[in-house]
Amino acid sequence: MLKINPPEKWIETGLFMAAVVSAVAIVSILLLLIYFCLPLFSGNGLSRVFSWRWQPIDGQFGILPMCAGSLALSILALGIAFPPAIGICTLVHVLSRGVFARIVLILTHFMTGIPTVIYGFVSVFVLVPRIRSLSEAGTGFSLLTAAITLAILILPTIVLVCYTRLEQLDPVLRLASAAMGFTPIQQMRHVLMPAATKGVAAAAILGLGRAMGDTLISLMLAGNAAQFPGSLFTSFRSLTAHIGLVVATDSQSLAYQSVFAAGLVLFLLVAALNLIIRKTDNRITANAFLRVQETRHEQNF
Amino acid sequence: MEPAVVISNLEVLFFGKAVLKDIHLSLWPGRITVLVGPSGSGKSTLLRAINRLNEFFPDCQTRGSVSLHLQNQYHGDIYQNTIPLSDLRRRVGMVFQTPAVLPFSIEKNITMPLQVTVGLTGSALTERMTRALQEVALWDEVKDRLKSSANTLSGGQQQRLCLARVLALEPQILLLDEPTASLDYKSAARIESLLLNLKERYTILAISHSLSQTRRIADRVCVLRQGQLIQEMDRNDMADIRTFQGLMEAAF
Ligand SMILES: Nc1ncnc2c1ncn2[C@@H]1O[C@H](COP(=O)(O)OP(=O)(O)OP(=O)(O)O)[C@@H](O)[C@H]1O
Ligand SMILES: [Mg+2]
Repeated sequence: MLKINPPEKWIETGLFMAAVVSAVAIVSILLLLIYFCLPLFSGNGLSRVFSWRWQPIDGQFGILPMCAGSLALSILALGIAFPPAIGICTLVHVLSRGVFARIVLILTHFMTGIPTVIYGFVSVFVLVPRIRSLSEAGTGFSLLTAAITLAILILPTIVLVCYTRLEQLDPVLRLASAAMGFTPIQQMRHVLMPAATKGVAAAAILGLGRAMGDTLISLMLAGNAAQFPGSLFTSFRSLTAHIGLVVATDSQSLAYQSVFAAGLVLFLLVAALNLIIRKTDNRITANAFLRVQETRHEQNF
Repeated sequence: MEPAVVISNLEVLFFGKAVLKDIHLSLWPGRITVLVGPSGSGKSTLLRAINRLNEFFPDCQTRGSVSLHLQNQYHGDIYQNTIPLSDLRRRVGMVFQTPAVLPFSIEKNITMPLQVTVGLTGSALTERMTRALQEVALWDEVKDRLKSSANTLSGGQQQRLCLARVLALEPQILLLDEPTASLDYKSAARIESLLLNLKERYTILAISHSLSQTRRIADRVCVLRQGQLIQEMDRNDMADIRTFQGLMEAAF
């Protein structure tokens, strides 16, 4: 038996406590949200909250437009951010590994540190007028404006996670594919990316989660009309912005309670994304495990 | 006959330090040249100089020239960009010291490079894969599990898969870095007889640490020590095992 000396024991206890505290915190947040949502389950509260109309004056408190808004915004932002993120990874991983690559990476790191409000602020002056002139009708505060800005916000997250996974790959993969005559782009497309699928998927989902959770960008750029985001140029409202707006202006009515439903939906969406990341992980490890078992059998017989 | 590869005055430096110097070496089609030498003497580096793979590593400089003569076509010095890099590497196939399988299925390890670099599709693709796997005597072991991951193969099977992958690309020159290092006696013997068959069609430069193997397959042996070629031996020098061992001991 190994003897554990006191400091190690303390560290272990400390880490265990920290883990318990975080777990308890997350579970209590969920329970609290459910508790505050309980009144909605009595009467026809639920059907009033999960409806398509938000008109508090008429007693309509539907949050579905906001759910649709959040989904449309985050998926669109990911769609805009993902291709250039992969492009940047290709650039710094296989095309140019020298000083230029290092500068790009430093800039990417730097981007993660820029406060969100700066992106929003710059976008109001740079992007909004352009979108406005593009769409003819409309103010320029729209789904597209928010999605583009949000894409820039989540881009560095995706790049850095992807890049880390690519760097973790066995360097022999690149060497072997180069030795077969693969050009750098072919190495990336046919060997490195497929070998790092799990990491690339995790990066994308992480970016999606970040986009879904962001409040300020949509608050500043989406126009906040509580309506279904029917086109790229319509104004809409995300769940996060909705919570912020209602909490800031109201504190009693069903409107206020519906905010907890919005919070719960958001919480569940983000939790689902995390589960998906875990699932991809697990599935892959489970597969690998099965394959190893398979070969063991073959070798035995 | 023209030599397929002419290396002259080659010098390779890593971080300013010469790893190979003053190398003059010609390789002829139809012959197996075996490179021997102590660990760290620069054998792998010399192999990589012929497909320009040293450039892959940071701070590597190559001086001198390596010219190719492939299929009645003279290509000149590869370091003067006389041949596109990807063409060069497809014609000069290389098997690494440690097997470098791709983390895909056994089948895809062979077919994907063919699709990507040669543009082969359909039945031609399957045909070539089957032939390559048969040539390296791996077909019977994997024919029922072509779709399972190449990582589940044993070390020796992986090494043969890598050899099959290179052969499927139909190169003209083969660079083999200890191709039988992780193989048992029987599979090593199979690979050796395969190499003896292949040498009709290819120009082969192989590294070996086994003197008995060297005697069995080599038409010519080159001894490398501290980055310099210090001795060359041909079949006559190897005919008598005593003389050969004496020469090798003197060289090492
Ligand atoms: N990428 C690299 N960067 C720096 N030094 C290198 C690199 N590759 C090889 N070297 C150096 O060059 C020398 C020769 O290495 P090489 O791999 O060619 O030896 P080798 O003869 O193949 O040895 P072994 O029999 O152990 O495989 C060694 O001193 C090694 O440290
Ligand atoms: Mg070596």
